[in-house]
Amino acid sequence: MSALVFDMRWIVDQRLDLSPLVPERLAKLARKKIEALPINTTREKLTVGDVFKVKGNDPEHLRFVGTDDRCDNIGAKLNGGDVTVEGDAGMLLGAQMKRGTIAVDGSAGVLTGASMAGGEIRVRRDVGDQAGGVAFGSTMGMKGGFISVGRNAGDLLGERLRRGLIVVGGKAGDYAGGRMIAGTLVLKGGAGRYAGYGNRRGSLIFTEKPRNLLPTYVDSGVMEFDYLRILEKWLREQDVRIRLGARARRLMGDMAVLGKGEMLILA
Amino acid sequence: MPELKVKGINIVETFAEAFPMVGTRVIITAPTAEWAMISARTMTGFATSVIACGAEGGIERTVPRKETPDGRPGVSVLLFTMDAGKLQTQLRNRVGQCVLTSPGSACFAGLEGEKTLKLGASLRFFGDGWQVSKVVGGRRFWRIPVMGGEFVCEDKTGLTKKAVGGGNLLILGKTHDAVLAASTRAVKAMAEMPDVITPFPGGIVRSGSKVGSQYKGQIASTNHAYSPGLKHHADSELPPTTEAVLEIVIDGLTADAIHKAMHAGIHAIAKGGAREGITHITAGNYGGNLGPHHFHLKEIVG
Repeated sequence: MSALVFDMRWIVDQRLDLSPLVPERLAKLARKKIEALPINTTREKLTVGDVFKVKGNDPEHLRFVGTDDRCDNIGAKLNGGDVTVEGDAGMLLGAQMKRGTIAVDGSAGVLTGASMAGGEIRVRRDVGDQAGGVAFGSTMGMKGGFISVGRNAGDLLGERLRRGLIVVGGKAGDYAGGRMIAGTLVLKGGAGRYAGYGNRRGSLIFTEKPRNLLPTYVDSGVMEFDYLRILEKWLREQDVRIRLGARARRLMGDMAVLGKGEMLILA
Repeated sequence: MPELKVKGINIVETFAEAFPMVGTRVIITAPTAEWAMISARTMTGFATSVIACGAEGGIERTVPRKETPDGRPGVSVLLFTMDAGKLQTQLRNRVGQCVLTSPGSACFAGLEGEKTLKLGASLRFFGDGWQVSKVVGGRRFWRIPVMGGEFVCEDKTGLTKKAVGGGNLLILGKTHDAVLAASTRAVKAMAEMPDVITPFPGGIVRSGSKVGSQYKGQIASTNHAYSPGLKHHADSELPPTTEAVLEIVIDGLTADAIHKAMHAGIHAIAKGGAREGITHITAGNYGGNLGPHHFHLKEIVG
């Protein structure tokens, strides 16, 4: 058995909805039926076979080759298996997924991992706005799992995050961790304005002091956090290299809401 | 009369009778190996026998930094009782009073199992609303604010119902010094074995007991058949040359672990040979009616 490969033949002039291409739905389909699946988002009908050259036969392991930022819903509602993207991904990558892993070689669009409940998404380059945020029709953002972003994230990273962990190797945009309910963001390159606004119980971990701090966070001083040791060790096991140590300054907030959230700024 | 001998020491053809227990394991970490050990020792203090301690517990081994969840030095602790409810109570009380209170400590699950016991899940209430739950890699940890900083404790730990308690060896010798030296050697050898503990002081019992007593309400009393000062009694199991008997009790997460520990123990005792003054190695049982696990010395030695 070899991975089921979707090799993009040409750049189409409409966004594509690749949500049918998940292991659960492909498991019982023959090659011809897979090629006949509609993926168009305009009136112009497009099937998988029109856009992709399909190879391989193992639907538990999917490979997308040559995709661009208009290939939406890759791995959306994924419930197991693994998806590799050799190229970019569009919006809603891995949105509402429950299990499995997604690895993207390039960048991903808005709402990456939105309202996901479990599993793992790794994007080597950038992600758009609202990564780990709220999927259409949902009331909460990410509810579990792990997102790793190699470079930068857009605005509203982890908005309404309920549970789970997002690590950003670069910088996050404005409103990172906005209205977080709980969960954890680790930001290696800092964040834009209004980080952690409306944060109820979530943790924002900064490796360096962010430039703009909301006045509704209250300084609790520097101390050691064993939690940071646990997190660093686990991340290292996941091949995510980030030095957290244990000492950090703790700011409690957002006092405009519940105030049980925190910013841990490594000391 | 025993026929089997190891280095001149008689191995009595009998068996250790052991009984089912429930068990769990936790890993305690601290800023230094010394403080992890202090915490673990405190937690397993007064945990020699379920007869009156509520639980049997002990230190299984030290855990190197690379194996602990927080990368700090750790100690693995095993705790056993007769049923899950009592184990839950003992675990909560012991971790709550001895580990939570210990400077710089953290406490983690040490056993995976279908059945679980609450660890941080019950201790979190000490946080009085300021506790924080964090999930890392599918494991839930509680961060409880305390005067020394934060106490991190995993939400739950595993429980096994396949644990066995009461594996034992009785070491008979011509002098107390000889028996103590051989027993100490055996305990050290058993300490190298995984999944077992020897819960008594230094791993050794000098006052093995039998079930019941001539006194009402006394559930256990001296094992007079193995008391050298009572060799005159018809019940005595001791040869005339015996001056001292010490016992090693072994609790394990599995029967197999106890079997292996007893094997290691017997051979460690026999290392000094009969010239050291050890005459017999035997085991305690109740005729096979009390516990379903029978560890026959003849099979273990082989």
